[in-house]
Order: sequence, then structure tokens, then C-alpha cells
Amino acid sequence: VSVTEYDVIVIGAGVAGLTAGAKLSSEGLKVALVTMGEPTACLSTGCIDVCSCDENPLRGIEGLPAGHPFHFVTPEIIRQALSDFQEFMVDPALPYTGTPDKNRRVLSAIGTFKTTCLTPSTMKASAQHEDEKVHIITFAGLKDFYPSYITSRLRNASFSTYDAGSTTTMGIAANFEDEAFLEGFILWLEQLCMTEDKIAFPAVLGMESAAEVVRKIEYRLERPVFEIPTIPPSMPGRRLFNALKDRFRRNGGVIYWGWPVIGVEKAGRQIEAVMAESQGRPISLNAGAFILATGSFVGGGLHARRDKIIEKVFDLPVYVPGRWEEWYEQDYFSQNHGIGKAGILVDSSFRPVDCPWENVFICGSVVACLDALKNGCGHGFALASAYAAASSCREYLR
Amino acid sequence: MNYEHCIRCTICVENCPVFRVNPAFPGPKQSGPDAERFRSGHEKSVDEWVMLCSQCKRCDMACPCGVDPAQMILRAQQRYGMEHPHTAAHLLFANNYYLSTLGSITAPLANKIASTKIGRRIFQRMGIATYIPFPRFSFKTLRWEKKARSRSARKVAFFHGCFINFYRPDIGRKIIRMLQSFSVDVVLPPQWCCGLPALGNGNLDLARSFARRNVASLSNYVDAGYDIVYTCTSCGLCLLHDYQGVMDIPEAKKIAENSYDLHEYVLKLIDEKVIQPEFKEIRKKLAYHIPCHLRALRIGYPAANLMRLIPGLECRILDDACCGLNGSYGFKKINEATAVQLGNRAVSLIKKTGAEAIVADCGSCRMQLGGLSGMTAYDPVEILCESLEIKVNKSRN
Repeated sequence: VSVTEYDVIVIGAGVAGLTAGAKLSSEGLKVALVTMGEPTACLSTGCIDVCSCDENPLRGIEGLPAGHPFHFVTPEIIRQALSDFQEFMVDPALPYTGTPDKNRRVLSAIGTFKTTCLTPSTMKASAQHEDEKVHIITFAGLKDFYPSYITSRLRNASFSTYDAGSTTTMGIAANFEDEAFLEGFILWLEQLCMTEDKIAFPAVLGMESAAEVVRKIEYRLERPVFEIPTIPPSMPGRRLFNALKDRFRRNGGVIYWGWPVIGVEKAGRQIEAVMAESQGRPISLNAGAFILATGSFVGGGLHARRDKIIEKVFDLPVYVPGRWEEWYEQDYFSQNHGIGKAGILVDSSFRPVDCPWENVFICGSVVACLDALKNGCGHGFALASAYAAASSCREYLR
Repeated sequence: MNYEHCIRCTICVENCPVFRVNPAFPGPKQSGPDAERFRSGHEKSVDEWVMLCSQCKRCDMACPCGVDPAQMILRAQQRYGMEHPHTAAHLLFANNYYLSTLGSITAPLANKIASTKIGRRIFQRMGIATYIPFPRFSFKTLRWEKKARSRSARKVAFFHGCFINFYRPDIGRKIIRMLQSFSVDVVLPPQWCCGLPALGNGNLDLARSFARRNVASLSNYVDAGYDIVYTCTSCGLCLLHDYQGVMDIPEAKKIAENSYDLHEYVLKLIDEKVIQPEFKEIRKKLAYHIPCHLRALRIGYPAANLMRLIPGLECRILDDACCGLNGSYGFKKINEATAVQLGNRAVSLIKKTGAEAIVADCGSCRMQLGGLSGMTAYDPVEILCESLEIKVNKSRN
């Protein structure tokens, strides 16, 4: 038996790719995951948006326009994907709160509210309306976090500043991993004698032990504590990525980093191997089936050229709505831009439409008609479509 | 240059171990693509902080857009080194090969001096950190290994690197025995330092002179049908990448095409059905610390794939943390605080797994993690040899 031959190769290390990989390897398949770099999940808030068009995410999905890929996933699979996700996130000490029947709100760094479905426990206590009495703690010199934005919208909020000896989210989060630092910080908090009901922090309260740090502060200050997501580098996004990665590995998956696919070997209706440029010579990995989860433009799955948009791994046909010239609109925030729908059209088994190969499956934001920003369905669709694609893939291999 | 592909997503910054703990280093995005725009050939380089980059290459590996900040910084480091006087520590570590040759000839004496208080004080005076003991020189280096030849079809020229040769020749012997047990002929071609320590200390000319000699020597073996096998992941990265890259030696292409990581090579033998090794059970729980330069080789983690074949072995892969030593980087006083902080973080992640010992491909990772944690740190080949019941007499000094 070859050591470098796999049952399934997943391309892309985002929420979709890691989830599909973990699902298949937990079912006993030999899975490798190849990725060019780290996923855009690291840039995200770490929250799982399922559908923010309605108070009830599942009802919201029903109301999505025809042709939206969420319609190919049954509510049972969505529930299953989300509850499995919540279940395993307990172990890496990063539990997620929420249910697919009700959206929650998370206070943003500019004082607005983001609608989402599942939130990491560090954002569980997030303020839900503009009248809440919140004390915000910021850190001296922290880049791109301005509490005045929040206090201008939340009239009962105020803030104080702590000098953490570092001005970056990364550096401060590293400090919070140190118990002596945390102790000094809590002592400083205690002498502030806050009168507000809740304490808010930018999302820098540690890396691996963030949930524990939040718990400790809550216990000592005797009131709810929550994190406010920051712009990247985003710690909650990285925590999520690390946990998913760890789960995939624990299930027996193998990851190849820095492995941009530069070519494929095909035979008839099948893809047999993907190739990457190693430092010395091209290396290839064989598998029985492939799952494409390379993300859209920022993630690197799609690439916009002057003449057309291309899919970078298998050169699958990319769907774009109408002509480019018709995409212009006066309202910048309407989120109706055609580029949000660009991607690969899929059928109900999450195979690409018009694909010459039968062993390619596809999930995550490379799928067409998603409009992830407008519909607020990024990570939620990634989880659900990963389950759907993984089950079709397993069916195919049987 | 591909700095224009940078979309400023900061994923590289999240991955930078130095940036995490040292505020003086502006991080890979600023020191790489951002600063690259302002680096002109006409002005003297003034950015002292480029030398704070440890060249772990984590930024290159993390970028979703194919930008390689570490390469840009490496070139900036070489230019800075060329235009500014070198400190004693930089000069010493760049010339580590000659220093170690001297050290191993005088091993008993050199080891004694290095371990005394006075020795440590001299080190510190020269700007060398002493928070972990300096590795002990071996008198009987690997170069003394007798040649044993069979007439098998597979021939390997083993690039052992300085660490194995001067400090741990016993591991080198194990590697040779293991390959021989697979009926592979192993020879030790004439070889010098790969040049990475010189690069790391901003000494491009010296690095190039080492590289040219290695390329000339190894080329002969490639022509004669040998595969080059390296075990040190940093030597490997230098041979495969930096010779053709920053050192600009086009003839090195041939070397790169025919060089294999030891474990990658063994996997290749298994895949091609040349060998069918029988791994015996080992009841151990190990934490496999992935060296940054193994990641950067882009070959996956071949030793992990091999160790997975050993029954009973539990091996947790940890690739999030850099050990912080980075060859000679952490031995320089100016980087000591960074190295210790990063090392302690890596150790705490290892301890969380509940592993009884550490395994890592890179000698300097083992030195750092073993030194800071007090745990045993194995080379993966030691685990494989234990499972394959291959023994060598462990004679040191």
C-alpha cells in the first residue's frame, strides 16, 4: 500500500476544507489536505454566520433567492453540521453559543451590531442593544481599535486604557497567555471600580486559553465580560482555524502546507492526481476523489483577469451574472455587486456543473451565487456544504 | 518581485513568531512587501531591524497570495550585512563550520571550556547567549565513518550537515545503518557547511563560497547516478532554495532536482515497493515539533507519515510554534529574549499534549526544546531505528 496515495484530497484549508476533511477522515478514509497558504478564516470574526436575512437563520435560508446553493443542503444536514461543530469545539476549550433557530447580535468595533448565528463563548455576553451599560477596556497604542466609535453609538458606554506593553492584537494576545500578566491586569481592573453592567475588550484576550481568560476576569470582576471582534490580525478567527486544523489532524488527516496546485493528472472521467511545485521537482499526490474548497477571490480560489474570471485549480467554468458592464450601481453598500455571485455552479450532489470529471466535489465560498456578505452566510455555508460534499464524495467512493 | 500581489491581509503577521514577542520588529508585511517599495539600489540600507527577522519562513508559507516576505527580507539582510561592519557574534556564527572543525579536533578541551563559568562569561562578552548550554563537540565526527559498499542499484550521497557531523555523529551513523539495511549504498561526498549560518548572519559572500564548493562536489555524484539525501531540514532548504535563489547559482538546479529529505526518500522507497520495512511496536507518546524549515520545504511531513506506520506509537503533530532558536539566531545576545519567550511558548504547547518526549528533525530545535523543557528530544530517525531494531554503538567524544 502506497504511503502517499490517498482516498481523498481536499484542496484548501479554510472552514469548508478542514471540515470536509475531518468528516471524511473520521469515517475511516485516508485524507490529505493541500493548501497554498492560510485561509481567510484567520481574518474573520470567528463567528459562524448561517443566514442573517431573518431572525431565524433556517427560515432565512428558505427565503434566499432561487439558485442559492444553500437550497441544495437540507435543514437536517445544516443542523447536523452546526451541532457537530458546537460539540467538538468544547474540547479545545473554545465552546460556541447559539442555535440555528435564532440569530444573535455581536457588538462590532464601530459600535454597530453584527447579526450572526453561533458565537465563540468569549462573545457570548456581547451587548445586544444600544442602551446597555458597558465599560470598554482598550490598550494603549492598539492599532485600529477606537472605542470612541462605540461610545458615540452606545450612550451608556465609557472606556479606560491599559498599557499592555504591546500595540498589536497578536502581541497583547501573547501577553494574556502569561498568568502573571493576567493577574496584574485583573488587579488594575479591580481598582477601576467600574459601575457598568458588562466589560468589553477588543478580541485580544489570549490565544489558546481565551475562554479561560474571559472566565477568570468574569469571576473576579463579578460581571459578564465579552470580546469585540477586531479587524485583522483577528484572534478569534485564528483560534477557530487552529481548532479546526487540530481536529482534522486528530482524525488522522495529513496537511501539506505551501502546496499550490499547478497541474492535474487526468484519465478519462477522472482526476487521478494533483501536482505542486516543490523546491526541487514537481511532486504529485494521488487520490480517488478530490474536494475543491479553495475559497473565492481573497482565499485564492478565483482569480479575476481582465477578460474573464478563472478557477485556479481545475480551470472549471466560472459563473458570473450578466455582463460586467451592468454591475455598476450608485449605492456602494447595496451589496448587489455581481462579483458576489461569481463562482462555480454546483448540482445537488455538490459536483460542479458541466465538469468533465466525476470525482470532483466542491464546497465553501468558491461555489457560485453565494453572496456571502449580503446574505451573511459565510462560515455557516462552509460547514453545511462541507458536510454535503463529503457525503456525496463518500457515496461516490463506495 | 511579487510584492505587488500583497493584499495586506496580515495573515503573515499573525504567523510571525518574532513579531509576536519583539515590538522592535515591524513584522513581515512591513519589512517585506511594504518596505520593498522603498528599497532602492542607490541608497545605503539603514533598516537595522531587518536583522531581527529569524528567517523561519512562516510568512512565506502562510501567504494566500503567493508573496514571499521572507525572501525579500533575506535579500535586505544580505545587503545590510554587506554595507555594515559585522559584530563578533555574527562573524563567529557565519564561520560556524570552521569553528566547529576546530572544536571537534580539540573536543575534550573545547567542551570543558564551553561548560565553565569563565567560558560562558567569554561567550556573553562576545554577545553570545548562554541560556541553554552550547552543544557538545564530538571528537570522532561522522567524516571518520568507514565506507562499506555493496553493489546495489540505489546509491545515496549523504549530505549530513554540520550539526550531525560535529555534535551528533551517532545519529548520522544510525541514518547510514538504516539506509544500508534497505540495501542502499551510502557514501559521504566531500562537503562543507551548507552556507545557511553565513546567510543568517548577513554574510552572502562567505555563504556563496561554501555553496559553490558543495555544488561542485555534489554535482559529480548526481552525474554518477547518486541521489542526494539530507537530514537537516535547514541544510535542505538552503540546498534546494537559497542556492538558486538569493545566492544565484544556476548550476544548483541539478542538486535541487536530485535531493531528498531522508524521510521523503524512505517513503519513496516504500512507494516504489523497493522496501517493505517491518516496524516493531513502540509504546510511546511523542510530541512532534515540526521545524519551521521542514514546513518551508513544501514536502509535507514525511517523518510523520513514517512514524504513523509504527504500531503503538502516539505522535501529536505541533506546527504552530517556532522554537525560537533558529540556528544561530537565538544564540545572539540581542535575540536572547525573543528566543527564550518563543521557546517557552513552544514548550508549554508540548507539555499540554502530555507527551513523554519530543521529536523534531532539526538539531537546533531539539537543542532549544530539550534545553528549556528538560525533556528528551529525539530525531525521528532514532524512533525509526528503535522500531526497526537498528543499533549503533553510541560512542561520543
